[in-house]
Amino acid sequence: MVKNYTFTFSSRQVTLYHKKIAIHDCQSIRMQGDIIVVSGKISHKDKAQGLLPANDVTPTTREIVWTWLKIGTIGFGGGYAVLDLIHSELVIKHGWLTEQRFENMTALSEMAPGALTVNLLAGIAYRLGGLWAMIAATIALILPSFLLIVVLAGAFLAWQNNLVVRYAMEGLTAGVVGLLIAVVWDMVKRIPGHWCCFTVGIAALFLGLVFPVNPVWLVLMGGLAGATKVLVLALVAKKSAKGGPNL
Amino acid sequence: MNIFCELALSFIKIGFFGFGGGFAMIPLMQSVAVHQTGWLSPSQFGAAIALGQVTPGPVAISATFIGYKVAGLAGAVVATAAIFAPSLLCMYLLEKFYLKVRGKEITQAIMHGVLPVVAAIILIAAISLCRQSTHSVWQAGVIAAVAALAISRRVSYGLLVAGSMTVGIVMAFICR
Repeated sequence: MVKNYTFTFSSRQVTLYHKKIAIHDCQSIRMQGDIIVVSGKISHKDKAQGLLPANDVTPTTREIVWTWLKIGTIGFGGGYAVLDLIHSELVIKHGWLTEQRFENMTALSEMAPGALTVNLLAGIAYRLGGLWAMIAATIALILPSFLLIVVLAGAFLAWQNNLVVRYAMEGLTAGVVGLLIAVVWDMVKRIPGHWCCFTVGIAALFLGLVFPVNPVWLVLMGGLAGATKVLVLALVAKKSAKGGPNL
Repeated sequence: MNIFCELALSFIKIGFFGFGGGFAMIPLMQSVAVHQTGWLSPSQFGAAIALGQVTPGPVAISATFIGYKVAGLAGAVVATAAIFAPSLLCMYLLEKFYLKVRGKEITQAIMHGVLPVVAAIILIAAISLCRQSTHSVWQAGVIAAVAALAISRRVSYGLLVAGSMTVGIVMAFICR
């Protein structure tokens, strides 16, 4: 929580998270509740209207680890459901990062492989406390699930021939198939409505169903197809620009 | 090859290619653990993914189950570390070079090519999971109900998973 403002503009330097940021061409500064809104150019990032925390609210590594442990313990449901939890914990409750930074970070995490929430929280932890905080926080985040799944795995493997356990697992597996279908549905809606994308998707579906291809190759081919499309378009644009009468 | 090296290498590879969210890792894990190595039977793999859904953490935690099954607690630790390490490395690099890759047309285009493929391979994984470990009408009902409720977004994933397990337990007493 931000309480007192120890924010010196005379030096034109403020501490934002663990980085020093200089403000040039400051256009306006106003107070808005607990934060100071600064519009201007901020060094090392592009021109921005930044919401800078009024105080040095950089959390210690211990605070980060505790918060991540909490999220890892109560973050049931995964994916976008946990996104709300993360937002309310880090942006609203602790004020460790701004709304805009949170959005940027979410977009960034979608580009990295792996679970969105893990990537997002790793990125935020890195921003707040550096490399070691990121590693420690990620361990804290997955520790509760890790312990739980080890216990469950032991129990399942010991009793997997029990009738009730077998039926419970059959129910669970059916539920997971349902979830996967829903996930695919969501993804298809997010795919840009271009014929190239649909062709790639249908080709991958066909290849994967007919031949036992390693999915890694399919992912690589998808990336390659996307890159090729852009390169070809760029080449065509260049050629038409050269041959065109107007240019 | 040492089983721990094998686990580590397999899961690092899965971690690197799991673009498009945690669910994208399911087909990759299935390909390695069921089809290539036979570490898990298809129904055990179904249980691994299902238990991964029961825990509060991300789907990728199913790797822990696989590691545990293959090589005990140490295997679980190795598999978990291996599957999350690439995510951390990529986030670190993206943080460092964000300004250089952001908004580049080529980055966007690659993701646009990858996204449909990921949707396709998840669908394939769902089909093969369904083919190998569902064989009764009530399971088909659970699949349809869960898919419909999850798409409508009225019920959280955790609750749906718990519900489908409850249905399974109830069916055990009915069918016995």
